[in-house]
Amino acid sequence: MAQTPPAIGGRVSRRDFLKLMAAAGTVMTFTPFVDWGKFLPNPVSSEGERAKAELADGTVANVNTFQVNHSEVIIYPKSEDAVLNQEAFRTWQLIRLPQELGGDKNDASAFRAFSMICLHLWCLWKYWPEEGRKRGECPCHGSMYDPVSGLAFAGPASLQGPPSNVLPKLDLEVDSNGDILILPPTWTPNANGVVGYGRYLNV
Amino acid sequence: MGATLTYENSFVRFIRWVYAGVDRTIFMGMKFTFPGRFVSPLGFLGMLTFILFIILGITGALLMLWYEPILDRAWHSVENINDTIPYGFHIRNIHYHASNAMVMMALLHMYYQYFSGRYKIRNEILWVTGVILGVLTILEAFTGYDIIFSERAELAISIAASLTNSIPVLGPQMREAFFGAGFHDFILRFYAFHVFLLPIAMLGLMLVHFPRFLVFDVPMVMAISGAVMLTGGVFPVGLGLPFEPEVPPGITVPEWYLTGLYAFLRTMYDKFTTGVAWPGLFIFALLIVPFIDRYKKFSWKDRPIVTAIGITSLAQIIVTTYWGFYIDPDRNKALLERLVIDPIFFYTVMILLVPLSFGFTYMMIKLAKNAEANAKLQPKKASKGSINITQKWLYVIFVTLLAFQVYLNISAYYAVLQGMNNWSLFIIGIIMLVFAAMFHVYRYGRTRAKAPPPKPVSPTPSRPAAAPTPAKPAPATTAGEAQKPMAAPPTVTARVSSEQMGQLAQQQKQQQHAASGGEADGSSNTAQTSSDHSHLTSAAASKEGQDKKGL
Repeated sequence: MAQTPPAIGGRVSRRDFLKLMAAAGTVMTFTPFVDWGKFLPNPVSSEGERAKAELADGTVANVNTFQVNHSEVIIYPKSEDAVLNQEAFRTWQLIRLPQELGGDKNDASAFRAFSMICLHLWCLWKYWPEEGRKRGECPCHGSMYDPVSGLAFAGPASLQGPPSNVLPKLDLEVDSNGDILILPPTWTPNANGVVGYGRYLNV
Repeated sequence: MGATLTYENSFVRFIRWVYAGVDRTIFMGMKFTFPGRFVSPLGFLGMLTFILFIILGITGALLMLWYEPILDRAWHSVENINDTIPYGFHIRNIHYHASNAMVMMALLHMYYQYFSGRYKIRNEILWVTGVILGVLTILEAFTGYDIIFSERAELAISIAASLTNSIPVLGPQMREAFFGAGFHDFILRFYAFHVFLLPIAMLGLMLVHFPRFLVFDVPMVMAISGAVMLTGGVFPVGLGLPFEPEVPPGITVPEWYLTGLYAFLRTMYDKFTTGVAWPGLFIFALLIVPFIDRYKKFSWKDRPIVTAIGITSLAQIIVTTYWGFYIDPDRNKALLERLVIDPIFFYTVMILLVPLSFGFTYMMIKLAKNAEANAKLQPKKASKGSINITQKWLYVIFVTLLAFQVYLNISAYYAVLQGMNNWSLFIIGIIMLVFAAMFHVYRYGRTRAKAPPPKPVSPTPSRPAAAPTPAKPAPATTAGEAQKPMAAPPTVTARVSSEQMGQLAQQQKQQQHAASGGEADGSSNTAQTSSDHSHLTSAAASKEGQDKKGL
C-alpha cells in the first residue's frame, strides 16, 4: 500500500511514460501521411514544349529584325490568364549582345534571356545599352550583371555566394524563319536556375 | 415640489436606459476623462494614435468598397477611386495622411513614454504590447502603400517577400505560407493582412494596451483630424506609375518610416543581417527596456544611461532616415555608385553617434539640473506657466474665431460649387482646426466662469455683504459633476487678475447706483432694475439691491 508521494521533482510513473510513448508513436506513424504545407502555397504550374519568344507588341522576336545591343522584356511562361502574365516572376530580359561581344551573329549565340528578378532582393533589373555601361543594373540597391553570363559582378548580389550570384537563364533556339524559340527549361540551380534564387555557373 | 429644470421625454428616458445598461459592460472599467482645461497632449498621444486608427478604419472601409486586390486591376481601381468615385479622392487622401500621422504619433508616443519612464511600476505589459503595436502599425502602413501596386509598390513587395525568404531555414516556407508564390498571391495576401489580420491583431493588443484612465481631449482630437485633412489638401498623394512588366521601374525610395531600413540595405551587407536581423534587434531592445531599466526614479534627468540610449536611438533613426532618402542626383553615374552606401563610412557614423549622443545627454541633464537649482534660488514667480487672458480679450478672440469660421464655411461652400478638389479638403482641415481652437477657448472661458469668485478685497471692509454670491450655484455644480473635469484648476482663485477685481468692484458700484436711482425716481423703475439684476447676476444680487434700498 505504499503510495508514491506527489512528485515535485517530476518523476514520471511507468504508466504515464508508456502512455506518452504510445501517443508519440501514433503521432509519428501518421505524420508522413499529412500533406504538410501543401495547402497555402500555389501549386507549381507545368511548362509546355518549346515556346516562341513573344515581345510586348505581340510579334515574335526574330534574329533578322532584333537590333544589336538592345533588350526587350518577354513573359515566360506565357499564360492564358492575363493576370499571370503581369507576374514579375515571369519577366525575362531578352538581350541581343553588343557587337564586340558577338551580337552581330545571326544565330542564337547572339542572344541571352535572363530572369529580370534581381538575385539580391527581387527588384527588377534591366539592360542598359549605353556606351560604357552595357550591363544589367538594378534600381533598388545597385547590383550589376554581366550580359554574357548573367553573373553579378558588382553590388550586393555579387557578394552573395553561389548559386545566388548568377541569374537564371532560358535556353534559346532559332528556327528557319529566324524566330527565336525558348526550349523547355529545368528549374534547378544546376540547369536553368531558380528564379529569385540563382544558378550555378558551369563553365 | 418646485419646478425642475430637467426636461424628461421618452427619448431622454430611452437614452438614460441605454446608459444604465452600459453599466454592465466592459466600458465601465475604463475611465474616460474629458479634460475641462488644457492639458499637454504629450500625455495622451496614445489616445490620438487610437483616434487616427479609427479614422483609418472608417476611411479604409470606404476604400474597400471600390478597391480590387487583383494584380492587373489594383492600380486602376485606385485610379478610379482617385479620379471618378465621388469623394474618393478625399477619402483616399485622408486615409494616406492619417496613416503617416499614425506612424508618427505612435513613434512620438513611444519616445515620450520612454523618456518619462512611464513603463515602470507594473506598466511593463503596456510597454511590451505598445512596442508590438508600433511594429504592427508600420507593417500596416507598409502593406497599405504596397497594395496600390504602383511601380514603387512592386519593388517594395519584392523586397518584403525576398527578405522573408532570406530568413535561414524557415524563410522560404514562411514566405510561401504568408505571401504565396507570386505577385498575384502577394497582392491578395497583403490585402488580407492590411484589411483584416493586422487590424484585428492590433485591436486585440489594444485591449491589453489601453490603460484604465483615458483622456479624450476634444479640441486636440479635432486639431489632429484637421491637420490630417489640411495636409491632405496641401499635399494630395499621387498614384505613382502603374507597374507594367514590360517597363522596369527606375530608382524608388520607400515611405519615410522605412528609409532608415533602406539605408541599411544599401550598404551591400548580407540581406538577412541588414534587412531582418538589425530591425529585429532594435525591436527586441525596445521590448526589454523596462526589464533592464533599474533606476528607481522616473524623470529622464534621473536616469542618465537610459536617456542616453534613447537619445542615441533617436539620433540614429534620424540620420539613417535621412540617409535612406539621399540618392546622388548625378544621372550619368552608374546606379551602383549612386545607390550603394559605403558600409565603413555608414557604420562609423553609426558608432560615432553613440558617444555624441551620450555627451549631448550629459550636457542636457547638467543644464536641466542647473536650471532647477537656479529656480529654487530665485524667488517664486506668481502663476508660473499659465497665460492670463482677461474676459474682454477672451470675447474678442472667440468672436474673431467665430468670424473666421464663418468665412471658412463660405469658402468651403464655394469650393463645393467649384467641383470639390483638394482645396475643399484643405478648407475642411482648417475648419476643424479652428473649431478645435474655439472649443478650447470656450472651455477656458467656461472654466473661468465656473471658478469660485475671488474673495473681495473691497476698499470698505465695513460692507462684506456687497460681495456677489456665486452666480447660479445649483446648475453649475451639477454640470461640473456630470462631466467630471480632470480637476479644478488649482490656481484658479489665484489667477483671477486684478482687472477682474476691478470689474467686480465696478459692478457693485453700478448696483448701488441703480438702487439709489430707483429710490429717487420711483418704485416702478426700481422693479425694472432689480429684474435686470436678476438677469445679469443672480437673484441674490437683486435681493441685495433691495436690501440696500431699504437702508
